[in-house]
Amino acid sequence: MDHEETEMISRCQQGDQEALKEIYDKYHTKVYRIAYGVVRQREDALDIVQEVFIKLFRSIKNFKGRSHFYTYLYRMTMNTAIDHARKVGKKFVSSLDEEGSFEPSDGAEKGPERILLQKELEERVKVAMDKLPGEQKAAIIFRDVEGLSYQEMAEAMGCSIGTVMSRLHYGRKRMQEFLKDYVMLHGQSRGGQSSPKL
Amino acid sequence: MKDSCSSISRLLEKCFDQEATGEERLIVESHLRDCAACQDALRSMEGLRGLIKSPVEEALQKEDFPWVWQNIEKRIRLQEKLSWWQSIRAWLDLSPLFKRKVWVPAVATAVVLLFVTAQIILNKPSYPDASVVEYVESETNDVMVYDLEKAKVTVIWLFEGPEEEAIPS
Repeated sequence: MDHEETEMISRCQQGDQEALKEIYDKYHTKVYRIAYGVVRQREDALDIVQEVFIKLFRSIKNFKGRSHFYTYLYRMTMNTAIDHARKVGKKFVSSLDEEGSFEPSDGAEKGPERILLQKELEERVKVAMDKLPGEQKAAIIFRDVEGLSYQEMAEAMGCSIGTVMSRLHYGRKRMQEFLKDYVMLHGQSRGGQSSPKL
Repeated sequence: MKDSCSSISRLLEKCFDQEATGEERLIVESHLRDCAACQDALRSMEGLRGLIKSPVEEALQKEDFPWVWQNIEKRIRLQEKLSWWQSIRAWLDLSPLFKRKVWVPAVATAVVLLFVTAQIILNKPSYPDASVVEYVESETNDVMVYDLEKAKVTVIWLFEGPEEEAIPS
């Protein structure tokens, strides 16, 4: 944590809203990425961003600096997003029926085929993500969306690196099962038929 | 799929996440060269990452965060106002005695008593500046001196010497 950030956090801990604005400017896109990764819906993601920074302002006094500030913030974001998804999920009526067939909405029906497929894919990814346990979902988003290292993930999730790897492994495995028809297609469209690069 | 594939799968995932050591990477690369199943597994992980990440990046590019900071500020201000008011109400709620009318005359009496006591204390009679009374005894005359400092007045009394006390018979 650099000196500037330490000073910014310290001011925020004393109730300085200007300092909160500086933290917001620095981190709001990252918070949005995590939030969107979980809820996969713009308005909900924006709500979560607001919720996170209000919570942060209230609870930043509890941040003792024992971990990196961003892992503290990411953990708060993930918990808020998962809670939000749980609440919204109860009201959410998926356009995928029990067998998993897709019923296009009116808007998508009129649009080009590509947009329709894109929407279908997004919907399937959302449904698949919603089926994952929270820890596996968090591990996948921290790694595949936010690009955190195993060490950073362990800090943000409050567990060991071994647990992080395990959650990531089983989460990916389940997602690949849910999305098996799309995963290979997407992999090939990105990398073609050539050998994948490490 | 080869027998060694199951043992390589964890390493493959570590390589994919850029967490493998140089040595582990060499092992995986060498395995991948002639293992189609592990190549597929790697493609599958790439595909999954793309499916999860691409929509997020697209959404972020389109996003301009309308009114988000303003809303945060507004909600914080509202909560601060509420918490101030709520704390007063909570305090009042915690004092159920205040809700009983029987306490009204008692409180009024206490206030009156307090007022009266304060008046008594504040209006305590003030004494003039220090004055000194000295009494000097001598064989001829007794002298009493009254010295009033503020008025700069000195009063001196002279008394006849004391008569001998009659001895009771």
